[in-house]
Amino acid sequence: MRRFLLALALLNGSLAAAQTAAPAAHHHDTDSRGVYTVIAQAPVKWRDWKNPYEGQADAVAAGEKLFRQHCAECHGEDARGAHRSANLRAPGIQRATPGEVVWFLRNGNLAAGMPSWSGLPAERRWQIVAYLKTLR
Amino acid sequence: MAREASLQAPGPIPSPFSGPLSTRAWHLLFVVAIALLLAARASAQEPPYFVAYSHQMEEPGNLEIEANSIYATQRGGNDFIAPWMEFEYGAKGWWTTEFYLDTQATFGDSALFTGYRWENRFRPLMREHWINPVLYLEWEDTNGADKTMKEVVGFDKEADHAVPNAEARREHDHELETKLILSSNFKGWNVAENFIGEKNLGDEPWEFGYALGASRPLRLAATPRPCNFCRENLVAGVEMYGGLGTAKATTLSGTSHYLAPVLGWQLLSGVTFRLSPGFGLNDNSHRFLLRWGFSYEIGSFDRKLRSLFQ
Repeated sequence: MRRFLLALALLNGSLAAAQTAAPAAHHHDTDSRGVYTVIAQAPVKWRDWKNPYEGQADAVAAGEKLFRQHCAECHGEDARGAHRSANLRAPGIQRATPGEVVWFLRNGNLAAGMPSWSGLPAERRWQIVAYLKTLR
Repeated sequence: MAREASLQAPGPIPSPFSGPLSTRAWHLLFVVAIALLLAARASAQEPPYFVAYSHQMEEPGNLEIEANSIYATQRGGNDFIAPWMEFEYGAKGWWTTEFYLDTQATFGDSALFTGYRWENRFRPLMREHWINPVLYLEWEDTNGADKTMKEVVGFDKEADHAVPNAEARREHDHELETKLILSSNFKGWNVAENFIGEKNLGDEPWEFGYALGASRPLRLAATPRPCNFCRENLVAGVEMYGGLGTAKATTLSGTSHYLAPVLGWQLLSGVTFRLSPGFGLNDNSHRFLLRWGFSYEIGSFDRKLRSLFQ
């Protein structure tokens, strides 16, 4: 009986843990907006491009400023996503190379509501990527 | 714009407010301008053109409110100012819809509402390319006194605007305007080419026109600190536009053409100012135009509107 109660307690505990962990996993790494699918379509030459501003503190600060101007309205000030936009801290996005992310910014995902940011000069898109990569 | 009159009741039509714009109207405009300046946030990334269109669409769910005006010198008549309002909404990532209200005030004559326009732009290709096409469709319900010169087509010329308002407003134009917009972004530059076809739904031939634009921010990379008076917030460029005759006579002869430098300045508050002096390139054109305007973008307007009713 004691073993049974212990097993029940363990089962109950693991179920509770699963219940708390499941939403977090769902929130952080599902592709509900189809972002990963689109990013995976980035051409190889883009995928391998290095961020010319990588590791530059000024570029990260400029990227944060640009993020607040252009992106925070939809993705939230903390970039965790809100309403119809993706969580930019999600592992699936953070795993993408800088080149893939900048390609995605340039093209957007028009069918899913993500605008193209090709109107921003490439330099500013790289600065945004430099900032996004600090959100791991 | 076709200038032939359709059937209208004879005799003068009373103006909604005659004479120059009232002091009260200017106060109202001032209050609206201040309110917009104090409001927060926008994310515009558009070139500062007044006539040409790029392939930049409004962000989905955002509403951009613009107040623009044109001042033109007029030989053989009175100079005028034609203000218009634009309400641009991002219906989808690939579809932008826009509503216009046009007015004008002619010095020594009168001020009047001249009509409305409803425009839709569709981006058929979902990815960015070297040249990005956008299809444009607009319905216009304006009268002959409209002087906003949002496009120049057919044999539009300066003399069209010399007609007194009381007479010009009797003409009603129901027009369908189409454009093929081609636009490219490269190394910070935007280059846009627009080919215009306009059809008066009366017995008029198609009229054609063009608009070209090129612009670039004065600084490509952003600075780390927020600033209003820095080069990255300024975009400079130039527009050229004019008529190309009609389906019966496609020609440059007898048409008017303009060259206009443009300058845009985006503030941190999200308000964007634009200014464009324009110069007529031949005798059919107004000698001088001055366009100015400001816009303010309300992010996630659809969500904010819905929340009012929940």
